[in-house]
Amino acid sequence: MARSLKKGPYVHYKLEKKVAVNIETSKKTVIKTWSRASMITPDFVGQTIAVHNGRQFVPVYVTENMVGHKLGEFSPTRSFRGHAGAKNKGKK
Amino acid sequence: MKNIRFSMKKEDCFYLGKIVRKYSFNGELLIKLDTDEPELYENLDAMFVDVRGTFIPFFIEHSQLHKSDLLRVLFEDVTNEADADALIKSEVYLPLEFLPKLEGNKFYFHEVIGFTMEDKNYGKVGIIKSINDTTAQALFEVENDGKEILIPMNDQFIVKVDRKTKTIIVDTPEGLIDLYL
Repeated sequence: MARSLKKGPYVHYKLEKKVAVNIETSKKTVIKTWSRASMITPDFVGQTIAVHNGRQFVPVYVTENMVGHKLGEFSPTRSFRGHAGAKNKGKK
Repeated sequence: MKNIRFSMKKEDCFYLGKIVRKYSFNGELLIKLDTDEPELYENLDAMFVDVRGTFIPFFIEHSQLHKSDLLRVLFEDVTNEADADALIKSEVYLPLEFLPKLEGNKFYFHEVIGFTMEDKNYGKVGIIKSINDTTAQALFEVENDGKEILIPMNDQFIVKVDRKTKTIIVDTPEGLIDLYL
């Protein structure tokens, strides 16, 4: 079920606050966050947000085409290293 | 076009694309090109196809661009559907010397591995170990005393790519490098 329009997009309040401070002071300090579910709003454009993926922070420089997506989409939690046995395929 | 060598190692080649499907009944194939400039590869003489880990040179009888990023090719020895079927999903490579040289702040990912990264404010950051392009935004993976530093590959951050000194100068936002050290 989609989120109610009445509520607006979800952005963690602490993250929202940090972005607001950066805009006010016109600084570009990296903002650390664990809130992967927060949606990228137009205010975030131009900011660098370090999004935690469970192991480390992945820096994301927010651009216009990221607006509307969630932060977690840009910080993958798994790394694909190829399929098991694929290297020996066909060498029977 | 330069003559293609018959023995090639993967490290001497770059990934050009992947054979995605057949086209027509006479063995033509469609290659999905992994490039921003497909027109550069429209008139090739040959290319390497990775067949079970071996790079086999295939000579091209004719080729033409198909839609936006597909290259329609007819290889010399592939004359029927069965031969074409055997090559589907294979990756296609070209020797590194076929790549047009880039200048200024443009670079190929393989080209900058081993370069030193310097930050305008921080100084030497480390050595670029690899490029992580699995995410929506490619990242430099820089090693500094055994620690891994991730730096987003963005025009806003890259100040200068110096090929002579093998250095990339970046201007990262405050606190980015300190995150990892």
